Amino acid sequence: MEVSKKLVNDLAPQKFGKKGVIWTTSLIIISIAGIIAYIDQVRKGQIVTNMNDYALWGIYISNFVFFVATSFVGAVTVAILRLTKNSWRTPIVRIAEIISVAAIIMAGITIMIDMGRPDRLLNLFIHARMQSPITWDVIIIPTSIAVCLLLLYFPLLPDFAILKNYFSETKPKLSKWYGKLSMNWTGSEKQKSIQLKSIHIVALLTIPVGFMLQTVDAWLFSTLFRVGWDSTNLGAYFISGAAVAGIGALVAVIYIVRRANHLEEYITEFHFDKLGKFLVLVCLIYLYFNINEYVIPEFTSKKEELTHLNHLYSGQFAPLFWFVNIGGLIIPIIVLLFKKGRKPLTMFFIALLVVVGSWWKRFLIVTPTLLLPFLPVQGVPESWHHYFPSFHEWIITLATLAMALLIITVLVRYLPVIPIQRTADEQELLKKEEKSNQ
Amino acid sequence: MLINRSVFLALVGCFLYTVMFNSVYAQQDEKNTVRFKAYYTKIMDSISYFNVTVFSRIDKENVDVANAELTFYNEVGDEEFELGTAKTNMNGECKFVLDNLNKIKPDSTNTYNINIKFKGNDAFKRASKSLSFKDATILAKLITKDSINYISGTLKDTSTDSVLSDRLLNVQVQRLFRNLRIGEEFNTTDEDGTIIVPVEEGIPGVDGILTFEVVLQDSEDYGTVRALVKAPIGTPIKDESTFDERTMWSPRNKTPLFLLIFPNLLILGIWGIIVYLIINLFKISKSKIQ
Repeated sequence: MEVSKKLVNDLAPQKFGKKGVIWTTSLIIISIAGIIAYIDQVRKGQIVTNMNDYALWGIYISNFVFFVATSFVGAVTVAILRLTKNSWRTPIVRIAEIISVAAIIMAGITIMIDMGRPDRLLNLFIHARMQSPITWDVIIIPTSIAVCLLLLYFPLLPDFAILKNYFSETKPKLSKWYGKLSMNWTGSEKQKSIQLKSIHIVALLTIPVGFMLQTVDAWLFSTLFRVGWDSTNLGAYFISGAAVAGIGALVAVIYIVRRANHLEEYITEFHFDKLGKFLVLVCLIYLYFNINEYVIPEFTSKKEELTHLNHLYSGQFAPLFWFVNIGGLIIPIIVLLFKKGRKPLTMFFIALLVVVGSWWKRFLIVTPTLLLPFLPVQGVPESWHHYFPSFHEWIITLATLAMALLIITVLVRYLPVIPIQRTADEQELLKKEEKSNQ
Repeated sequence: MLINRSVFLALVGCFLYTVMFNSVYAQQDEKNTVRFKAYYTKIMDSISYFNVTVFSRIDKENVDVANAELTFYNEVGDEEFELGTAKTNMNGECKFVLDNLNKIKPDSTNTYNINIKFKGNDAFKRASKSLSFKDATILAKLITKDSINYISGTLKDTSTDSVLSDRLLNVQVQRLFRNLRIGEEFNTTDEDGTIIVPVEEGIPGVDGILTFEVVLQDSEDYGTVRALVKAPIGTPIKDESTFDERTMWSPRNKTPLFLLIFPNLLILGIWGIIVYLIINLFKISKSKIQ
């Protein structure tokens, strides 16, 4: 099927404007600052962090869990939408795939940062035990990266071929690259057949791999027999929480890309409305899981559980706890239940609130439990009773977030964020349907 | 003026006196006196040994003397025979083992006299300690009467072959951390030099084997004498160790088989599909002509 010139003009990657350059430069600067802080951490050791014998997992692991969650939802949402053949998915799936790739790559890097010395990564392979959830994590993260890349790449093939032709005269070098990436795509029947079959398989594969990734992440905690983690529900709890974080991130990125690339014609209010309904659904599910996680221990009233819950409800973590639950869940649910709340700009702010809430939620999953061991914390410096990230930890963590955004930015710069060929096909079908109706 | 000069000379004199004689005292203070604690133990039908602890009182505190080389002598009349040496450990303790009591000789009163000597070193003065004991024998055995098990022990003076009555003997079962005393708190030998202690049922032991000890503890005349009796009358300990089993907490060479088979199949399956998809990419590349 032919692709109209207007469509390619609209959807082909565009050079950044002034705002885009400032945005990218800022991300690069933050990333460099983080790299410098990380080098300092490697040089001096993790003494530069505020982690201690009790809070031995800090902001790095919270951040890792956040990245895994975000990546999971991007990929799984795309897979489900593809497999259920939801036609409204077209303009949003590529952005979701891009978010997935960026987040899972940064999840892998973040876990290395937490290890202190990067050469310790080798120990995970040398001393691997299949009984350890950490070994499962080491296996599932590269697998997930491979699957996310394939999920992004296969649908891109026809678009690369289109871009090769589109840039052949204006940017021959770029055109050459697109040509190579298109794998000699000509749109032949055989190519289409293999591509569609492959997309179907990779979409099918993404769901179990995504569930494994997120479940292994949850089992890293739930197999540790600690208050707040020791729950058979944690796998499902993490998956539902990941859905909130991931769709929140998807909505926020879609809004920015839509505005920056002037894609209002393709990503319409209808799409935001659909995403808003999706987001409110996952928020409600997560709220249900949260009620389970907090109310049941309150009823059974085991001493350790009560201490943990009191820390969250009214102790040192109370402000964060209430912000995460009210700001990150209840307010979004209330707003998104109304049609007006599902308008793009409102959705953007709600999505930001959800993402920030989701990030802090991971901090609340990791830290309070560590600070409340079964044996009393005694004979240690007073500072060990609390944990708040050090300057190094903040800079490095901000840099990982900036790097994830940088990967998204670079991919948005060079890839068509809305599938060109697929949009053309759908437009053609619509025209045919209109003609037949007349 | 004269007074001033006298005061000055007196001060100089005091200074010189202090400097000179302080160094003399310092040299004298350097060497400390050492003290010994020595105990003799005999295990029936086995070894005999001497446990010695060497310590010194420094600044009103007992300090263990490590690496002190002690020489053990057997005194017979006016003569001394060297038996060997032993060195104290970091706790100031050492053990000198006699494979056989026949290696030493008693005096005319059938008393064995042992002299333990320390030559002294840069920090400690020379010292010695004498230890005297007679040889005693405990004959211990297991008796079963009316389905009840008893441990009996008879104490004798070896040299005279006469039983020793009115002596305290302990009966205990060997355990991992500390021996378990059985019977009355005080078991005194009767006129036959014998005690009899009933054994409670249900004492656990590896393969049901219990090792009983009949002990004459720290006797002034005989030191410590122990007789061991092994008897298969305990309740066998059920071995619940999972050390050799494939468990979730075992090392990786003992990973449970389901954890080796199922996840690896899953991983291979997923990566097989990933490889298949990559091959599909090459197939797409090769099939460009319609």
